[in-house]
Amino acid sequence: MMRLPPVKGEWIDRNTPVDFQFEHTAYTGLRGDSITSALAANGVQIFGRSFKYHRTRGFLSAANHDVNAMMQVSANGRSTPNVRGDVTRVESGWQISAVNTRGGLHKDRFAILNRLSRFLPVGFYYKAFHSKRLFPWWETMFRTLTGLGAVDLKSAHRTTPKRYDFCDVLVIGGGPSGLSAALAAAEQGAHVLLVDENPALGGSGLYAQAGDPSIAAATEAVCARALNHPRIRVLLSSTAAGYYADHWIPVVTPEAIVKVRARAVIIAQGAYEQPAVFRGNDLPGVLLASAAQRLMYRYSVAPAQRVAILTANAEGYAAALDAVSRGLDVVAVLDLRSARGTDSQALADELTRRGVRLVVQVEPVEAIVGRTGGVAHLRYRVGSTDTTLDVDGVWMSVGFAPANALLHQAGATMRYDVALEQFLPDRLPVGIYACGKVTGHYSLAARMSDGERVGISAATRLDQTEPAPSPSALLAIRECPNHPYPIFAHPEGKEFVDFDEDLQIRDVINACQEGFDSTELLKRYSTMGMGPSQGKHSNLNALRILAKVRGDSLTEHALTTARPMYHPVPMAHLAGRGFMPERQTPLDADHAAVGAVWMPAANWRRPEYYAIPGVSREAAIAGEVHAVRHGVGLIDVGTLGKIEAHGPQAGEFLDRVYTARYSNLKVGMTRYGLMLDESGVIIDDGVIARLASESFYFTTTTGNSATLFREFGRLATWWGLPVGLVNLTGQYAAFNLAGPRSREVLAPLTEMDLSDAAFPYLAVREGHIAGIPCRLMRVGFVGELGYEIHLPFDAGLDLWRKLLDSGKAQGIRPFGVEAQRMLRLEKGHVIIGQDTDGVTNALEIDAPWAIKMDKPFFIGQRSLAILAKQPLKQTLVGFKLPASATDRPRECHLIIDGDRIAGRVTSVGLSPTLGHVIGLALVDPTVANRGHFQVRIDHGELIEATVTPFPFFDAAGARQKIGATP
Amino acid sequence: MTESLKTHARRSPIDAWITAHATATTVREGMLQADILAPTAVTDPTVTLSEYSWRRRLGLKGPAAEQWLAAQGYTVPALGNHWAVTAGVLVARLATSEFLVEALTPDAQARVRASAQTLYGVTRISGVYPVARHDLVLNLHGSALETLLRQICSVDFAPLLASASDAQGPLSMTSMIGVGVVAIATRTTDETVLTLWADPSFGLYFWTTVLEVATELGGGVRVHGLN
Repeated sequence: MMRLPPVKGEWIDRNTPVDFQFEHTAYTGLRGDSITSALAANGVQIFGRSFKYHRTRGFLSAANHDVNAMMQVSANGRSTPNVRGDVTRVESGWQISAVNTRGGLHKDRFAILNRLSRFLPVGFYYKAFHSKRLFPWWETMFRTLTGLGAVDLKSAHRTTPKRYDFCDVLVIGGGPSGLSAALAAAEQGAHVLLVDENPALGGSGLYAQAGDPSIAAATEAVCARALNHPRIRVLLSSTAAGYYADHWIPVVTPEAIVKVRARAVIIAQGAYEQPAVFRGNDLPGVLLASAAQRLMYRYSVAPAQRVAILTANAEGYAAALDAVSRGLDVVAVLDLRSARGTDSQALADELTRRGVRLVVQVEPVEAIVGRTGGVAHLRYRVGSTDTTLDVDGVWMSVGFAPANALLHQAGATMRYDVALEQFLPDRLPVGIYACGKVTGHYSLAARMSDGERVGISAATRLDQTEPAPSPSALLAIRECPNHPYPIFAHPEGKEFVDFDEDLQIRDVINACQEGFDSTELLKRYSTMGMGPSQGKHSNLNALRILAKVRGDSLTEHALTTARPMYHPVPMAHLAGRGFMPERQTPLDADHAAVGAVWMPAANWRRPEYYAIPGVSREAAIAGEVHAVRHGVGLIDVGTLGKIEAHGPQAGEFLDRVYTARYSNLKVGMTRYGLMLDESGVIIDDGVIARLASESFYFTTTTGNSATLFREFGRLATWWGLPVGLVNLTGQYAAFNLAGPRSREVLAPLTEMDLSDAAFPYLAVREGHIAGIPCRLMRVGFVGELGYEIHLPFDAGLDLWRKLLDSGKAQGIRPFGVEAQRMLRLEKGHVIIGQDTDGVTNALEIDAPWAIKMDKPFFIGQRSLAILAKQPLKQTLVGFKLPASATDRPRECHLIIDGDRIAGRVTSVGLSPTLGHVIGLALVDPTVANRGHFQVRIDHGELIEATVTPFPFFDAAGARQKIGATP
Repeated sequence: MTESLKTHARRSPIDAWITAHATATTVREGMLQADILAPTAVTDPTVTLSEYSWRRRLGLKGPAAEQWLAAQGYTVPALGNHWAVTAGVLVARLATSEFLVEALTPDAQARVRASAQTLYGVTRISGVYPVARHDLVLNLHGSALETLLRQICSVDFAPLLASASDAQGPLSMTSMIGVGVVAIATRTTDETVLTLWADPSFGLYFWTTVLEVATELGGGVRVHGLN
């Protein structure tokens, strides 16, 4: 191979050399070269090894599908696997190696597998893993042998942005038809986004010239118009990798995935040229004719010096003319057909004038490898006569498969057109359009005309709810571009159908004979089309073989739908920037400043406890508990859901939502609220306060606040109750000042009357503390005199600090979630979601005082009435361990009764107040009634627990009602 | 109770960020604000964030909410999802009977503050349900504004930005980086400004995340003070 003379439109910069290494050898390319074009310009023909048999491979498409030319690229301290060598522009300083080798590209130890192919039949994975005994051995073997590039775990983390984009019309494909469609749509006033995977527009209009520069000139003119059009934006080097509902298209750019929302999508991605299947069709030097054209015109690289072109369409003759124009020696054009079509004949005449040998009715027999590792001979047969040509290149141009993956994903239906030997769109979904080769238009004029028609249609039908009329009827087919069966079996095999997975003709036939004789089954059993190129060059030929084996027609088969992303995407792109919303109370920084150890609580973070240097976690928590029981503590409860309900029917609304009655709640008082689902299962709880006759303020658990607020809105609408709901969860701060000395701390900051007479237990009051408008509720979750204070978010930090300052004399301490859990456990107060689970009903937690079955209705009431007639399946009980117990169960440890599980521990801890372990457990009632049960702790040991009534502490609730002596 | 305990400082939802980054601060409407940032602040940003949480605002809903606003002398937009500015006060109609009111100019602060005291007072107003609004409020502006928005929101803001006005226009309520926001576009003499209101509990996350993206785009923070 060699560098050709300059040509107009080439992508390389001949003045800027690029120095790089491949397989530890230094090379020099030019800026704009792909990795493989630079290597080819240096005479390198072998770029990698195949996946299964480790055969040497070179070019195939030079169009982003050369999966055997994937590279490991090391540069700037980062090693990147599976870089597409056929399209990635090489840069100076890169150190490049082939993937999937052991010992290097030329000394690959696994090359021996090529000789063992007869022992690796189709479905080998399935067959290997049939034996349970050998499963581990095979697994190890496969993990050792397979896998492509290596992930460098030491590489710096690469962050990629997440982007969105919007347009009226998204045109995918910047070839002649896509360009025409974009221009036509833009001329209609639509804002167009034109996406192409190449670094330049033009597509095949620039490299498939048939030796006639006017074709490229016409394409260049259209490119210039598109690039300069004020309503067309162009994204180059970008792949539309999938289609999602409502015209969401992930476009993979070099930097990130752009999620494009379009009002209409035009798919103009052209067609993938298909290989002929014959022995040795994978040898380096055997490549698609379009690949050779790309190399000659984009990179000015000659893929061969003496080339034979195997063809079955006009495109092959055009490629031959391109080769001649670029100074290559075309040894012969070998046509598989018995007669040429009209277009082919015109080109053939020109080739004849230039002295090129033309042959028809050719059957390729085999490509034969030479000493360099590349193709050296091509043997073909005409009738019964075999001829061998000395060549260093074989180009294949026998047909195309439309790039219709996005059409499939969008829900288009396809039909096989026998005259064209191609799948064509039949019915297109609303807002989806296709043009160009995808719809069977191959000539430049036909593609541009089709693109223009579709562009106008898309732009003028925006937001219509009916699909566009069926794709335009094909222009009269002057010559079919596709051979119906370009597949030629050889007794010794090695005719490759799938270059990703090294699948041969016999593999497809054997799979069919083993019963996997439909498209879907064949794909999964043989792995056909499951490699990195996703069957772009193999699915159609495999389908042809399948149809032949079954004795039917392609019209009776369909291609599989590739999942999005149908083209591999870097993991960094898929990850994108992660947005993880985190809520903070206004006290967050102050918690951190005094040693808060954080724990997650839904999308908030809360102090689990406050660490003290030199003090253990357990001791720190015990200290916080002690402060609340004997002095005063302050906890941030701002994460609770905080909601208001207003209106004359707010009470009735709450009566329906919660199990207790609120329409009779006195203004200025609070009441516990238990919320069930329709099956009677407990889903939430909180405190409901009546602020005025038509205004209630209530709390929900932290994790449920957003969900419940939405549900309340839905219920109010469903029930037709005109309730005004206000979500104050994030707008209000809240903390609980608790302990026998809490009143002493609060009193200096307010002029409110805090006496038990004026502000009794379970009352709610509105007033000012330190000049801040607050709501105070005397609740007793931790079992002490306490004031739950709710106030505006922006004043939260100020009051928190003032309360801590005011409480210095009383030894006030902030306390965290763990201390609160112990304090409420001592009181036997249930935490929904911890002491209950997704099946715990309201009868099982023994809280009849919270359930008013005599109400006309509440959610779950009917189910509870039914459940009440049945024996309980579980019941919540308290238990304790002797003070001498050294081992302690943990939450979720199982309660064992003989050989069965009889329940689980829901809460447990060493009570600093009581001096022994206490807990709650959901237990089979028959076991609970025995008065004791066994808990299996870590390491399987069983320990005895004694069932104990709860509350464990201050059962009468005197401390929270009237306070206690510190 | 001493006099010092009868007043309190308002805190911005990004108070911790201001404390960490501001080298000089000032107090506006009782709320600490950054006046000068650390020297790392960019000098010629492509997109900037500026914070206006300190402005006085109120929220309300209910069947008599519109009537109450009118009685207070505010001009109420006729259409839902629209806003209007009169005498330095923005009134945004978030739904048929839900409103957000914010004082934009220094002169208007006292007026809205007085209205808020009435609205949020212990005395209930029949048919008017106060909605606390201690939001993070920020303005986004600059040449890379649309680029920034396309990285933080899946909604196309082009129509909203095209509707930018100094007197009235549509508003958008959507989710941005996982946080619900109210957005309006206004137009000053030389630039388009997108104003966002977000729940204060998401404030620090929202500010730091948007700033992170803006910084990658060559943007930064614009403060109202000396720099």
